[in-house]
Amino acid sequence: MLRLENIDVHYGATQVLWDVSIEVGEGEMVAVMGPNGSGKSTVLKAAMGLKKPSSGRVVLDGEELQGRSATVRPRRGMSIVLERRRLFPRMSVRENIMLGGYARPSAEAHRSFDWVLDLLPEIRPHLDATAGKLSGGQQQMVAIARGLMARPRVLLMDEPFLGLSPAMVKNVFAIMKMINGEGVAILFNEQNAKLSFAMSHRGYLLESGRVVLSGSGEEMLEHPEVKRVYLGVREAVS
Amino acid sequence: MSVAGFLELVINGLISGSIYALIGSGIALIYGTTRVLNFAHGELLMIAGYLVFFFAVTLGWNVFLASLLTLVLVGAIGALIQRVTIAPLLAREDWAFRVIAATIGLSIFLQSGAQLVFGERFQSVPYFFRGVLVLGDLRMPWQRIAIFLIALAIMAVCALILYRTQLGRIVRATAQDAEAALAVGIPSGLVHTSVFVISAVLAGAGAILLSPLISVNPWMGISYLLKGFAVVILGGLGSFGGAVAAGFLLGLIESFSVGFAPTEWRDVIAFTFLIAVIWVRPNGLFSGREA
Repeated sequence: MLRLENIDVHYGATQVLWDVSIEVGEGEMVAVMGPNGSGKSTVLKAAMGLKKPSSGRVVLDGEELQGRSATVRPRRGMSIVLERRRLFPRMSVRENIMLGGYARPSAEAHRSFDWVLDLLPEIRPHLDATAGKLSGGQQQMVAIARGLMARPRVLLMDEPFLGLSPAMVKNVFAIMKMINGEGVAILFNEQNAKLSFAMSHRGYLLESGRVVLSGSGEEMLEHPEVKRVYLGVREAVS
Repeated sequence: MSVAGFLELVINGLISGSIYALIGSGIALIYGTTRVLNFAHGELLMIAGYLVFFFAVTLGWNVFLASLLTLVLVGAIGALIQRVTIAPLLAREDWAFRVIAATIGLSIFLQSGAQLVFGERFQSVPYFFRGVLVLGDLRMPWQRIAIFLIALAIMAVCALILYRTQLGRIVRATAQDAEAALAVGIPSGLVHTSVFVISAVLAGAGAILLSPLISVNPWMGISYLLKGFAVVILGGLGSFGGAVAAGFLLGLIESFSVGFAPTEWRDVIAFTFLIAVIWVRPNGLFSGREA
């Protein structure tokens, strides 16, 4: 459903992505894993239209989106939860979530609001709180709720576990599974190889702006290079 | 000092402060949302001054109709300035200095244009409200009281728009995190233009209210631009509410300085206060409360 084809991205004169191709199928959970500075966030931003690729194509359900404004994506069923939540800190939780439905007609946005609160009921007591004053975990819930307001068919999540306590990581992990169970495809990035590939149908390994490995979640976990470099497992000497 | 004298200083301070608040809150709104410092903001005031003079004096129209049309036109000019001068520069990565240079250039262009079209003559607009309010020893022309009341009403409407409408919510969202706003589908270009329109209307309202008290001339925007920037810094860069509060504070400081020292000291005292505030609170008196 979502395809990034041969994407190159530059920041000024510096190239940060080289020929990156990534595919997310209907209802899939896809992980982009890589070390710090490998370009994971840029992949998601390029997909969402927040960073303009210098070449390549972004295709959603056959429709070419590259060169079109980011504002088009939520209307086409794409949404993003940005790194470090990026809530509107001085607005209330309710306002933050409702703005997630900006691209939808008002009546639909109100229906989405009820759906999101049914899905994430732990947000309900905080609706009138100022978003910036919530804990990191609570903010992540609100950021996910805001992302879901567009009723996306594909949800992009930029480092969804960053800065969260282990208990909250488990919670967010469960929520991602639940959202995916609702039929929403998820493309997320993460530095933790075990976590990313264990929970995903497919995975990509990004190094220095290039996809160096891809396969199913299981294949990625079993790949000797992933095991050696990212899981710290040494092959037994025969 | 008599009670009436003291009250007069307070009222005069609030009147000047309301004009500073109108102008400063407009600059703050633009800066808070787009991070653009618009050096041509004073010229919107000047253009509105000439427009109201043209409609109300030259054409002899009803003053309220003249004011309304002036606000509509100055709002449209604000949108035009944003679209033609600023928006193309914002698309570039190194836009900050270019925008400053462009708006300074625009300011000079508009001042010179006004000089060419209207000449160097100072034009006066008659009082819109006649009569004097007399309260014991206190005597205050209704025109001056109207400035305060109308400015207050306009800022209240602006605050309502900012905090109670969808337009206000998307403006605040863009001000707080432009990329996150874009990600939820908020068109930043539309928000930026809307903010310039609101800001231009605020400056236009200030010019209409001021025009009977000061003469309309090509340079009338300069001193108000400086005061507007002072208000924005005092209020905390980008804070609408902070700029309103700082506008009134600056007006009161000026008014009391005139009450206790020769008039020439007015700006010296006001800007000394500004420097002292920057020293103690570099982010302004109300920082962290941006739109």
